[in-house]
Amino acid sequence: MVRYVAWLVAVVGCVVLSSIAGCGKGEERVAPTISIWYAQWAPADALQELGNQYETETGIRVEVVQIPWDSFQDMVFREFASTRTGFDIVVGDSQWLGRGAEKGLYVDLTDWLPTAVDLGVIHPVVLSALCQYKGRYYAAPCEPDACGFAYRKDWFEDPGERAAFKTRYGRELAPPDTWEEFRQVAAFFTRPDQARYGCALLAGRKYDSLVMGFQQLMWAWGGDWSDPQTHRADGYVNSPASVEALTFYRDLVRDCAPPGAVNFSYEECTNNLNNGRVAMAMIYFGFYPGFVNVLGDKVGFFMTPARGDERVASLGGQGFSISTKTDEQKQEMAKRFIAWFLARAQQEKWTRYPGAFTAHAGVLASEEFRTEGDYNAAFADSLDYLKDFYSIPEYSELLAAATEHVAEALDGARTPKEALDAIAEAHEDILREAGLLKE
Amino acid sequence: MSRELYAQHERGALKYAFVAPALILLIAMNVFPLCYTVYLSFTDAELVGQSHRMVGGANYGTVFTRPEYARAIRTTAVFVLGAVSIETVLGFFLALLLKKDFPVKAVVLTVLLVPMMMPPAVMGLYWSMLLDPNYGIVNQILSAFVRSPPLWLSDPDLKLFSLILIDVWMWTPFMMLICLAGLGNIPEHVYEAAEIDRASRWMVFRRITLPMCAPLLFLGVLLRLTDALKQFDLVMATTGMHDGSTRTLSVLLYRVMFGSQKSGLGSAFSYVVLVVVIALAMLFIRYIGRIRAGQGAY
Repeated sequence: MVRYVAWLVAVVGCVVLSSIAGCGKGEERVAPTISIWYAQWAPADALQELGNQYETETGIRVEVVQIPWDSFQDMVFREFASTRTGFDIVVGDSQWLGRGAEKGLYVDLTDWLPTAVDLGVIHPVVLSALCQYKGRYYAAPCEPDACGFAYRKDWFEDPGERAAFKTRYGRELAPPDTWEEFRQVAAFFTRPDQARYGCALLAGRKYDSLVMGFQQLMWAWGGDWSDPQTHRADGYVNSPASVEALTFYRDLVRDCAPPGAVNFSYEECTNNLNNGRVAMAMIYFGFYPGFVNVLGDKVGFFMTPARGDERVASLGGQGFSISTKTDEQKQEMAKRFIAWFLARAQQEKWTRYPGAFTAHAGVLASEEFRTEGDYNAAFADSLDYLKDFYSIPEYSELLAAATEHVAEALDGARTPKEALDAIAEAHEDILREAGLLKE
Repeated sequence: MSRELYAQHERGALKYAFVAPALILLIAMNVFPLCYTVYLSFTDAELVGQSHRMVGGANYGTVFTRPEYARAIRTTAVFVLGAVSIETVLGFFLALLLKKDFPVKAVVLTVLLVPMMMPPAVMGLYWSMLLDPNYGIVNQILSAFVRSPPLWLSDPDLKLFSLILIDVWMWTPFMMLICLAGLGNIPEHVYEAAEIDRASRWMVFRRITLPMCAPLLFLGVLLRLTDALKQFDLVMATTGMHDGSTRTLSVLLYRVMFGSQKSGLGSAFSYVVLVVVIALAMLFIRYIGRIRAGQGAY
């Protein structure tokens, strides 16, 4: 027995000693690294490029880990469940702010951010929606974004189409400015016999796409998710205005979009415009490289239409948040990188990468930025109309309930009124349980 | 202590020393999580929160009263009953066809087994493309015969059926294999005796083939049932977790645990699912035992 134990101790000792020796050598070789987790899309490539420049300047490596959009949120919060996170910075969605702040996952940047960046030059709507929660800063702006539309410029400029449109509607064929014009243009291009349709809207159940698509109409029609003071959802999300907005959205999906359009999320909207199946596609402007790389100058962009005087675009984009579950030295390194990134010189470089946008007011107003592509101008003009979904810790449950029931209305499983009543009930249950509903 | 007694003692200690690592692993990986989940199910624990408090049976109350849980149970039941019964009938039929030897039997068997060997998530994505209403080959073929082909994955009345269809495509070969093994176990002389007695084909099937195949058939059904009850990957890859009409128990569990991040509620829910699965499995095992006992004389 003693012999066996002696052998076991010797073997285990060798393994432990060799691994300690290995670790020591490894530490000497590895350069200081800032690890950033971001969703898998063009701005993440741009961030890596800019990070490489930061490494050249400072010797500190920046590693951007890209995670597919569908699993981004789940992976990040699963990581936060550990005692240490694999990332130092997460470029998280605006809706995550509440959870990150209330659960102590994000470093409070309130004292540091104004000293590192001139907040006066950041677009106020972006600063408030992307960085602030309950008046404190938990993120710094990285990639502000707005929901809008891409359209087939070549179809809109076709003389035959223009003449036919003018004969039918008595006005020029142009990117629609109002939802009523949008419906006309969508109906005009809907020709199932030619496998052509008017529009692809965010109607699928993946992540937040359906809610981001529908809420713009709900707000423009005068509805809201809830009363901002009491959080009562009944009478707001299921108000006659909201029902009318959802009916309008459902009719667009049913009458002017390709078969199966109720499953369209970001990817499907992009593919259907690129494949020449639809004339207009609802999308966040940050996805523009996906169109421009395929269609070149045959694609154009326009802001989310208005209803009367009311124009609202869903806020998109993400901010830099520093994990509280990484050591303080890394947190300081992360802050230095963010400050470097937000300087005007870097912001000008940043916007030259495909899909990358800025909240820097000076850059946004510059002629160079606005004339770079019509996506830039449409994006910059949309910033004043941005509005966001809930950003409280319970947002993912609220989002899931909203997605499920709005989708049921689009599927035809429920009427718009029934679907919105179901959302009101589900949201009030969630908010009541969270102690946020003032009865 | 005598030398013999000492050696005996050392052998005993060595025996335990060999078993100990596996035992410790088992406790750490299985028993501890099971017990900890029971504890969590009585708390309001969240995935990323540090502290939690006891909430009594509130989580179990939620599981038994919220309509979304009842709907997920209904959806899972329809999926399991639909998929497993079709797979069993089809698998048995295929096994009967493939029982006798023929020149390319090995090739046919290999081709039939391919769907079973593919990962369900990949199959889900693959079938999403096949069933796409605009580009999918299924509707392109169907459009030659019908004016408006079905919207397989967007029509609320068809979605669950489509998932059953995919599952049947994937798992019928498994049932076929099990049935083939069962059929192979029936001695030839039993059929010869039936032939001498001039039993009809239907009588042979009903009195010999089916009953003698039953224990293995039920084992196959049990395996498929427990697997179908856990259906997750296929749903996530096709319709996702926000579709109430196709949301199975496992998908709802994922949504509660990782979407809403409510570990306490998720733990209570997982225990309810576990109890249902174990109860079903016990029922089947007892039934198989009875059949085997009935065939004991043979």
